Amino acid sequence: MNSTALQHLFGWRTAFDHPVTADAVVCILAALVIAPLVIHTLARFNLISPKLREELWLRWKSWLWLTAAMVGPILLGAGWVMLAVAVLSWFCFQEFARATGLFRELPIIAVVAVGIFALLLANVDHYDRMYFALAALTSGVIAVITLPENRPQGYLQRVGLGSLGFLLFGYSIGYLGLMANDSRYRPLLILVLLSVELNDIFAYCVGKIFGSRKLLSNISPGKTVAGSLGALVLTTGLVMCMGTSVFAGTAMANDFSLLKLGLLISLLGQLGDLILSAIKRDIGVKDLGVCIAGHGGWLDRFDSLVLVPPAVYHFLSYELGPLGLNQPMRILTGG
Amino acid sequence: MNDWRYNSAHDLGLQTHQRHCSPSRESDLTTSVLRLGWLMAIRTILKCWNRLDIRGLENLPAQPPYVVVANHSSHLDTVVLASALSLRWRDRISPLAAGDYFFATPPRAGFSAMILNALPIWRNRRTGQRHELGDLRERLINERAIYIVFPEGSRSRDGHMHEFKPGFATLIAGTAIPVLPCHLSGSFTAMPPNTFAVRPRKITLQIGLPRTFEAVANGAQGWRQIASVVREEIVALSTRESSTKKFHPRHRYETLLLIARVARLLLRRRLHGLVGFRGAG
Repeated sequence: MNSTALQHLFGWRTAFDHPVTADAVVCILAALVIAPLVIHTLARFNLISPKLREELWLRWKSWLWLTAAMVGPILLGAGWVMLAVAVLSWFCFQEFARATGLFRELPIIAVVAVGIFALLLANVDHYDRMYFALAALTSGVIAVITLPENRPQGYLQRVGLGSLGFLLFGYSIGYLGLMANDSRYRPLLILVLLSVELNDIFAYCVGKIFGSRKLLSNISPGKTVAGSLGALVLTTGLVMCMGTSVFAGTAMANDFSLLKLGLLISLLGQLGDLILSAIKRDIGVKDLGVCIAGHGGWLDRFDSLVLVPPAVYHFLSYELGPLGLNQPMRILTGG
Repeated sequence: MNDWRYNSAHDLGLQTHQRHCSPSRESDLTTSVLRLGWLMAIRTILKCWNRLDIRGLENLPAQPPYVVVANHSSHLDTVVLASALSLRWRDRISPLAAGDYFFATPPRAGFSAMILNALPIWRNRRTGQRHELGDLRERLINERAIYIVFPEGSRSRDGHMHEFKPGFATLIAGTAIPVLPCHLSGSFTAMPPNTFAVRPRKITLQIGLPRTFEAVANGAQGWRQIASVVREEIVALSTRESSTKKFHPRHRYETLLLIARVARLLLRRRLHGLVGFRGAG
């Protein structure tokens, strides 16, 4: 591993080199400082109920460590991002497995664990082809691993759930780690994470103010058409504003490309949310976990992130050429 | 074609500490791997450091569920019994442990739940204890578990076995679930109560023949009867163990001692002989 690769993976001194990173971090910190003041003021003037106040406090406290967990690795270096993404993938998959009952199929869980670890290695190694191959390879092993048990009952269910879980929470979320191999990964990841998280908030707020017509009432009774359209407009606007600085001097620095990127993030963010809502309704649970106070589980918080990373990666690769081409490749395996 | 059925984790929706304390807790890959590593390490340490001697392994039932009942004088007892059972059943082996001690704080509860796979018995809670034991009985039957139970209720402070509390019999009365009486010796000297260091003392585990209490009614009288029968069997095991200890030549250290004595005797005779020969010359 040469010094360039080492610097890229663990070089934290360059954290604020890109102006968007510094500005975004300041804005996020400012929001975290202002939020309790707003909650306190609203409660003081009895504009919110005590129950809502309590819930907002819980959410704000959770956001403190969630922000540190998301922004911290981005600032510390690409290696930490890849590790954090692998851990997030594993936590999300575990929640999915516990909710569906798949966690009792230990061989399949072990294959998915190995698959997520292999994705991490492919990311650290910067071996894109290996990463892409792992989707097919891991799904194949999941299909094969329980055959020796000679138990055809429930075969399709366990293999289907295992493959879906790996593809959604391991492979798809793992693309964030693959994106970290690009030289401008810090502003790029902040753009993706911020727009996906704000997309949820925009949909919620616009839906509360203007929403009356339900989007898909059986899957998610809380989502409205107005909220969805509002999020589409606001998130696209946000991506276009931030994207101008993030992609300055590249083929992406034009309104039409940024418009497409914004629509892609907002649309897929909402669809990811709906996928997890459909899973929850099918299983019959409200939340998939309880580890994030005020939010639920990991998947309740990061559901919108499930479809976005692969789409953004391939869209940017299509527009700009393969991401991370200017960085050393196969730094562990050579070749 | 069968409909798909999702059988979510029974502890879904519980906070971490609640989950650790819950009798409906379920194991996953992470805890299973942790336990495998823990039991393998403990087996090796007990074999090397405490010269663990397990007798009567052939008495272990081939399949769960069953209940292992033993005398209790040290924290080592739980790990000795757990390490004697097959690694294959590591996620089904659950020592029933005092909730007010092993689950008192979140870190201790985490260790007890994730590594030991212990289930709590709340000794100082009068209300709800019957319900608790009912849940444990249900888990034993439905999930084909293996329980490790110490009916004395607490560690013996003098190393001797005390009276059994009959509550544990609720788990097995009127069922075909086998009970395995076991006797532990040496653990008290290796790690007595109120110490944390493990001394290199020999520990012996004697596993008795399994027996069932299918015909015994699940009531106070039946529980007392079971407790008394199981205690007698453990006492018998301890007597048998001490008698075999005296006369059985298989014991490594007694054999070594015997060899050393014989060698010393022969050497002395030889030396006497030499001295006698020289003296005669």
